[in-house]
Amino acid sequence: MLKDVTFGQYYPADSFIHRMDARVKLLLCLLFMVGIFFVTSFVGFAFITVFLIMLVASSRVPLRSILKSVKGILVLLLLTVILNIFFTKTGTLLCKWWIFEIYDGGLYFAAKMFLRLTYLVVGSSVLTLTTTPVDLTHAIESLLKPLKVIKVPVHEIALIMSLTLSLIPGLIDETDRIIRAQKARGASFDTGGLVKRAKAFVPILIPLLVGGFRRAEELANAMNSRCYEGATKRTQMRIMKLSWRDFVATFIALLFFVTVFVVYGMSYQWNNTEWLLTNGGEWLIVNGINWLYF
Amino acid sequence: MSKSDKVVILQAVADGAAAIVADKLNFTYNPKSPFSKQALKDVTLTVNRGEFVAIVGHTGSGKTTFVQHLNALIRVQSGGLFVLDHNLSAKKVDLKALRGSVGMVFQYPEYQLFADTVLDDVCFGLKNFGITDKDKREQLAKNALELVGMDFDKVKNKSPFDLSGGEKRRVALAGVLAMEPQILVMDEPTAGLDPRGKREILSLVSSINRHKGVTVVMVSHDMNEVYENADRIIVFRDGEVAYDTTPRQLFKKEDEIVSMNLEIPHMAKFCNELERQGYVIPDDCKTVEQVFDAVLALKGGVGNA
Repeated sequence: MLKDVTFGQYYPADSFIHRMDARVKLLLCLLFMVGIFFVTSFVGFAFITVFLIMLVASSRVPLRSILKSVKGILVLLLLTVILNIFFTKTGTLLCKWWIFEIYDGGLYFAAKMFLRLTYLVVGSSVLTLTTTPVDLTHAIESLLKPLKVIKVPVHEIALIMSLTLSLIPGLIDETDRIIRAQKARGASFDTGGLVKRAKAFVPILIPLLVGGFRRAEELANAMNSRCYEGATKRTQMRIMKLSWRDFVATFIALLFFVTVFVVYGMSYQWNNTEWLLTNGGEWLIVNGINWLYF
Repeated sequence: MSKSDKVVILQAVADGAAAIVADKLNFTYNPKSPFSKQALKDVTLTVNRGEFVAIVGHTGSGKTTFVQHLNALIRVQSGGLFVLDHNLSAKKVDLKALRGSVGMVFQYPEYQLFADTVLDDVCFGLKNFGITDKDKREQLAKNALELVGMDFDKVKNKSPFDLSGGEKRRVALAGVLAMEPQILVMDEPTAGLDPRGKREILSLVSSINRHKGVTVVMVSHDMNEVYENADRIIVFRDGEVAYDTTPRQLFKKEDEIVSMNLEIPHMAKFCNELERQGYVIPDDCKTVEQVFDAVLALKGGVGNA
């Protein structure tokens, strides 16, 4: 029953994007996220749309899985669109009702915001759908390596991340087993009021927690007994290597972004403070979302 | 299954002779998907009231799937299944009543302990099955804990997490036994225990079976314990019932058993060898002591002649 819950979003397939180096994918994804904030015109969005269609098509991930992740932020999307429509007061007034006023500037702004958020999610979900969580951790470890100079325990952080990921399937199995065991003792999880239902989860959560500690301790013992020492020049089982795919992909991506920047430069007519006021908030929101996603 | 068959089976259940009747039970995991896997194929078997039945088979042979049907943790997909007076292939099943009378002990049952005290944990099932009187609950818990050989007054206020592994398992077992089930279903109850712990659990189970008349269905990988304790052994192979016979009869088919990756119990090997040498060992001699006596009797017989 719980086994249906897949962890992470990885969609197994054999495609150009799947075979790319996870580090390159991660960097390009970051570039994409930054780049999309420089897109201010609909022409720019048209370019990005073409880019995304190419990206999704070459990843061989069904569109449905990608839309599923967009669905995850649907509420946020709607909220942003509505707030932007009603609270942007630039351009010409289109209609007015009680205290609500809709300007055409607001509509444009809302539409762009909608596209930007959607594309951000689509872009980042292509990354998570084509890269296994393990590869992603390796990529993060590899990319954070320079931070070792300032004594950031990069290897340990990566180890914690990958151990957590590897324990999740086992925990799901165990949850399943505990639920069945308590059900056999007459526990029911779908009757009664809110408090009763919340209480019904105690007999599951406590054994699960105890089991979690047990597993962690077993793992720690297993590592200790094999004389595991953190970052002392360990070699990796899977060595990440750049291939022609990564160069081709980087080239195409850069080409697109240069174009986007050129289009952006042509419409360069901003006054610094105004840009910050209108876009600074978005930056925060969108970065917040990305944090949620990683 | 035709209507008249159903009636016949229902009658058998109603007579009180049968505790469990499965009729052409089928089950497929993830049906209609590329991951679909048929776990049970036309499983037909009967377990009589008061019987001690062992279910054995290789990993993935469907024994756990079958056992989980018995208290509706897995619902019947096709075929008939009657447990006590419940028809589990019907749309609506009184889960509370069923689960109250079919006690299920899972693998490593100690991992289900959660309460602050041993007493609370043993009472969890009782509370769920609607025994509201606190004193009655405590009495039932006391009986169950004493049945599994725990000192009630000593452990009742202890945290179950402070007990040793073997004690935890006995407390978990008491949590099921406290409900006084009519059928006790166990999935490898002795896994991970030391030889003494194993013996204790097994003698406990067979005494519950013998003295309280509780029907026992036990899944096990340990052929020796199955051989000595069960009245009947049902062998599952690839989701089907391959054999359904008494321990002695089953392990006389040595080659077939070995070809299914199952072991021959020591005592069965010994008796088979004796019989090949021309000695006759009675069919109900299974334990070392019983066989020892039988051999002595044989010798005495020879000496007398």
